Amino acid sequence: MLRYLGKRALIYVVMIFLTTSAGYFLAVSSLKPALLEQEKIPRPTPEQVANSFRLLGLDPNMNPWERYIQWLGGIVSRWDWGRSPNGAYVNAEFGDRVMISTRLFLASIILTLVIGVALGVYSAARQYKFQDRAITSYSYLVHILPAPIAYFLVQLGAIGVNDAVGERIFFVTGISTPGIEPGWPAFVDLVAHYAVPTFAMTVFGWAGYQIAQRQYLLDNVNADFVRTARAKGLTRNQAITRHALRVSFIPVAQSIAFTIPAIFTGGFFAEAIFAWPGVGLWSIDAIGKQDVNVATAMLAYGSVIFAIGAILADFATTLVDPRVRVQ
Amino acid sequence: MTNLIDPVAEVDEARAADVVIGKGRIIFRRFMRNKTAVAGLAIFLALFAFSLLGGFITTWDKETIDPLNIGMGPSPDHLLGTSQAGIDLLALVVEGTRVSIFIGLVVGGLSVLISAVYGCSMAFFGGKVDSVMLFVLEALIMMPAILVVAVATSGGGQSLKELPSWLLLIAVLLFFSWMGTARLVRSLAMSLMQRDYVKAARYMGVPSMRIVRRHLVPNIGSLLVLDFTRGITGAILAEVAFSYIGIGIKLPDVSLGVLIGGATGQVSSFPWMFWVPLTVMFLLTGSLAMMNDGLRDAFDPSSTSIGRASTKKKNK
Repeated sequence: MLRYLGKRALIYVVMIFLTTSAGYFLAVSSLKPALLEQEKIPRPTPEQVANSFRLLGLDPNMNPWERYIQWLGGIVSRWDWGRSPNGAYVNAEFGDRVMISTRLFLASIILTLVIGVALGVYSAARQYKFQDRAITSYSYLVHILPAPIAYFLVQLGAIGVNDAVGERIFFVTGISTPGIEPGWPAFVDLVAHYAVPTFAMTVFGWAGYQIAQRQYLLDNVNADFVRTARAKGLTRNQAITRHALRVSFIPVAQSIAFTIPAIFTGGFFAEAIFAWPGVGLWSIDAIGKQDVNVATAMLAYGSVIFAIGAILADFATTLVDPRVRVQ
Repeated sequence: MTNLIDPVAEVDEARAADVVIGKGRIIFRRFMRNKTAVAGLAIFLALFAFSLLGGFITTWDKETIDPLNIGMGPSPDHLLGTSQAGIDLLALVVEGTRVSIFIGLVVGGLSVLISAVYGCSMAFFGGKVDSVMLFVLEALIMMPAILVVAVATSGGGQSLKELPSWLLLIAVLLFFSWMGTARLVRSLAMSLMQRDYVKAARYMGVPSMRIVRRHLVPNIGSLLVLDFTRGITGAILAEVAFSYIGIGIKLPDVSLGVLIGGATGQVSSFPWMFWVPLTVMFLLTGSLAMMNDGLRDAFDPSSTSIGRASTKKKNK
């Protein structure tokens, strides 16, 4: 088992290296921070720009290959992921951003999972009845709604509630009000900021789990081993919960393993719409500012998170499925 | 995506076996039986026609500014109103729908083609070729596509700037859209290669290309057709989502995503600017979703959809 996981991890390390390098070349050849510097007042001369960028390790006069070597050297020797055009260190900002994303996504991911799986089981047990049709149609409807627009509609709804009550109950953007007193007011403020994004992400997030869980359970409800269980005298519900449910949970467990690390990458759309300065918003902003190093670091980070998810998924399968043996 | 077997359909199976009907006709008839799917097709074709011919409904185009009607609601002059800059919304929506449908069709169609060829070659050659191709595929799955889209479309570099943003978006979406299906095609094709009828055909000396055409393609056909419509939906949604948060398509190019995204700032003062393109997007993706199920049933060689039986399960 350990040897297998080790081998997988090694392959992923090679992959991450390749994707990150490819990403660096793409970023370094298409992002040109020097052009943005020209908009500053007073406008710096091209020599001044080149000089300040050279000090930051972003020399625009070097060719992509030289810059790649310089950048890679920094990472390998000092674990230094470089600096932004405004002088900030990528390493310094990274931790805070991850924390913000984690705070935003933790609650909604847990809620999404629990509600999605529960509704999936509920609708599968009542296949083609009214409840099933309502729940499943809703899930399909969510599928044709792009995430940012869905979040925006929730935002509009929250603003509508605020207007109707005449008081600011929900905050639709940001993570906290500056200068709030600690203690009870701070807690209320926190909840008011969390409520809308968490609600939006949960309500539009469970559809995938619901459809998957319903489908897998229905696939198994008519399987031979469930029929055997019924023949032995179990009721339909007992047979489903004891036998079909366990098997049908295996593929869902796999997708859960992919979701857990995704907490730390956050969501680009949710962070952009609700203005939470987490990892996603940072990357989008950085790319807007033509920041090569942040873009590449985020690309690498995303790949690492994906690899962890894939290995966790493998691990989860061997854990919950007794039929799988890994040599 | 399993096909749930309807008990009523099985009764009719024996009766239908007597008549020999051409394959194309069977597919067509099966599709036409699914009322939801036909309605979806009708809506989609109507939108397609609207995007091509909509320009004749209005005398305005997407560049002309009407200084007398700036930010006005729907009126006889401007059927859907005008934008804050005084540009006719109908002309913008026509253009946006065309761009969105175009992106969807190109990305959906080409990505299915790539994934079918890639997946089948992996299964067909096997061994070293398979593992190298799988490595490339997984490496691509790993990359966060949204970051690459953002880098590619917001770069200030000269080489990429000359391309229109929609072309760039198509290229990037295409690059990141085929891997999931390719992996599915690979596993399906691999299991099909083990089937008795494929083995029998091989021992009979049937050429490989004919085996692929006769036995592999029809069996994965329903998956590919389904993936085509799903790919279109996915590409349209991705375009809207990306353009909405400001990466993807950029002005002066117009698409549904650009229109929706641009209108969110002033929903209360210019509601038509937001709701009209959003409705069009809904109709577009909704009609495709309605077609999905009918298409899957129509192309599935083991489909049990016969006669009136299928009308009972039109929704699932």
